[in-house]
Amino acid sequence: MRLSELELGKEAVVVHIGGNGFLKRRLREMGLVKGEKLKVEHIAPLGDPIEVVIKGTRISLRKSEADLVEVEQL
Amino acid sequence: MKERIVIAFVGNPNVGKTALINAISGAQLKVGNWPGVTVEKKEAFFTHRGVEFRLVDLPGIYSLSPYTLEERISQEFLLEERPDAVVNVLDSTNLERNLYLTTQLADLEIPTVVVLNMWDEFQSKGYQLDLKMLERVLGVPCVPTAATKGKGVDEVLDAVLEVVEKSRVPRKVRFKRIIEEELSKIEKRLKEAGCPYPIRWSAVKLLEGDGFFSEKLFSKIKLDVSFVEEAVERIEAHYGDDVETVLAEQRYGYINGLLKEVFKRPIQHKMELTDIIDKVLLNRVLGLPVFFVMVYLMFKVTFDGSAPFIDWMDGFINGFLGKWISYLLYQAHLPGWLRSLVVGGIFQGVGLVLSFIPLMLILYIFMALLEESGYMARAAFLMDRVMHAVGLHGKSFIPLVIGFGCNVPAILATRTLENERDRKLTALLVPFMSCGARLPIYALFTGIFFVRHRAEVVFLMYLLGMLVSLIVGLVLRRTVFSGEAPPFIMELPPYRLPTLKMIWNSAWFRTKAFIRKAGTIITLAMVILWLFLNIPFGAPVEKSLLGRFSRGISFVFVPAGFGHDWRTVAALIPGTAAKEIVVGALGQLYGGASSSYSSEEINPGSFREDLKEQVVSFFGAFKEAFRNIFMSWKSSVFSGEEEELGEVAKSIAHSFTPLQAFCYMVFCLLWMPCISTLGIIYQEFGWSMVGMSLAITTIVPWVVSSLIYNVGRLLGY
Repeated sequence: MRLSELELGKEAVVVHIGGNGFLKRRLREMGLVKGEKLKVEHIAPLGDPIEVVIKGTRISLRKSEADLVEVEQL
Repeated sequence: MKERIVIAFVGNPNVGKTALINAISGAQLKVGNWPGVTVEKKEAFFTHRGVEFRLVDLPGIYSLSPYTLEERISQEFLLEERPDAVVNVLDSTNLERNLYLTTQLADLEIPTVVVLNMWDEFQSKGYQLDLKMLERVLGVPCVPTAATKGKGVDEVLDAVLEVVEKSRVPRKVRFKRIIEEELSKIEKRLKEAGCPYPIRWSAVKLLEGDGFFSEKLFSKIKLDVSFVEEAVERIEAHYGDDVETVLAEQRYGYINGLLKEVFKRPIQHKMELTDIIDKVLLNRVLGLPVFFVMVYLMFKVTFDGSAPFIDWMDGFINGFLGKWISYLLYQAHLPGWLRSLVVGGIFQGVGLVLSFIPLMLILYIFMALLEESGYMARAAFLMDRVMHAVGLHGKSFIPLVIGFGCNVPAILATRTLENERDRKLTALLVPFMSCGARLPIYALFTGIFFVRHRAEVVFLMYLLGMLVSLIVGLVLRRTVFSGEAPPFIMELPPYRLPTLKMIWNSAWFRTKAFIRKAGTIITLAMVILWLFLNIPFGAPVEKSLLGRFSRGISFVFVPAGFGHDWRTVAALIPGTAAKEIVVGALGQLYGGASSSYSSEEINPGSFREDLKEQVVSFFGAFKEAFRNIFMSWKSSVFSGEEEELGEVAKSIAHSFTPLQAFCYMVFCLLWMPCISTLGIIYQEFGWSMVGMSLAITTIVPWVVSSLIYNVGRLLGY
């Protein structure tokens, strides 16, 4: 499933990062790499963006960006 | 040993690089911009043990890729200026991600000290680290610090001196064999071709396909890159993913392996303070209301709290200094025009700049507070859905709100936007936010023409400003700022209590920069404006340069509804100094009253009495600021001052129809930002943006007022 579909409070493992160039690299620099565990910590009051905790860091990203991340729910 | 050592501070955003430099140099920071861009450049110079140091704070980056401006600036500096040492600052509570940059820096072969900042937090979390082992693996000294508390700072300097002396460079990451084989082939070719940059770095960058670097490299050496492309194909075929991803994963793999050896975290994971605070501040129900209350408080304290000081500064400069200088000049028998130029031109300009200081300081303190505490990122998180819908970033919200008070600090507040494109776009839209200085104009005209619907008409002005900014924003995104929108992906840093010193430093440095850079340009513009109003000196307005010019161009404004009378056009021009001056100018033009520096006798009274009065009123300003902030819920920005007009009002009522008056208000709302706003745009972005802003704020108001005027006439108004 996609990261954007993961529900609030649920945990998952990163399977694959899609997209290209800048976006892909930025996601990776923020620690979103294959095999990494993450959790959806908050969803903004208006439904977008979302906050994900990964490697002990809180990352916020838009749903359109989270669409590029393939995850497997735990 | 060298006489001057250049040290570059490199690290992720929010790791405390600036605080560390401040602690090392004793807050000698100089703030400027990197050449040609709006990214802030901070430097400090100081001497330690007879050695001169230049500390350069490179922008916060996550990697040395070439995608963002910050990354390109850092790469360029490290490669071309070859600092004597790199201080790689890490957030020790987040080693895994921070070390990623460290592995890339290693390829540059520059003597390095790794600083483990926020060590106090690290310890309080119960984490453990085998420092000796970490140093052995990385190959360079690792120094724990708590920069905001000044701990470990001397050790950093000693370590820097040591690595420079012994040329200790960090150990590089070894990739898997397949990649290393390809890399060594590339390295060999690069060496043969006489590559002027570190060989390993160059080889990795070529393999990754870093366009920014290879362009630079190939401008210096000739090399057939087809063999690199073949290597890339082989690697991608083997791993089934692109080279960049493969290399990044292996770097992370290396870091994971390293941390398993040296790092231990307690098994019991207690709830962190940040998580608890976010339960409220990012709450789906409470998050937005709390945010709006905070924004309102910031707005109120900034504008209502600074207003008495601005008034005092104004009185001090014009009523006190101006009067006495004028008197001295008179005693020196200088001619009237020269006195007028000095007092009405130069002195007015300096006074205008100085009167912004209280406002700037307070706003900067707030901005620093929001940034350093970590709340600014949350504000962006909360508002991004709305702002993104109109093509902006979540962080654009705060500068735009500040714009309703005053456009000048609003332009400065765009600093919070990291991305150049978002920042420029926001800055171009700020002038459409109806600032407090435009309110007196609305008050004048609604008081004459829309007596029964004053509040509604004024409110309509604010709405219209927002609507126009929305449309202009959409158009700009399709034209000047077309292309892919920058990603939103960002870190929400843990909440941290900022120190007073940190906030004061940040606010004061930036205020100083404003006085120096924007101040010069604002003063110059005020002198030009004076010339425009006063040549030939002593002539009535209609014979002055201003009068002639306004008569000449007033036909342009006929479609917009107010070109029939040159005086309306003439009033706009002194209004460039500050929009509320339009009211006074209209008063003079329609009332016939004139204030001029004639040769009448000046009787200044007692200097001592005057001075005493200034001191008393300065302390009075504190009391009033306190009362403004705490005694009323309403912000005084939205309560315009009433002016007695009498005769003037009658005269204006005869010269405008209500529709024309409305169009004039619209024009005043949208047209050219005041000189101070332009000055600050120049300071932050340079002349080209000033030009762009001027073009937009000339065309747009004309089009909008013309549209309203003609539609209004068709409807029979």
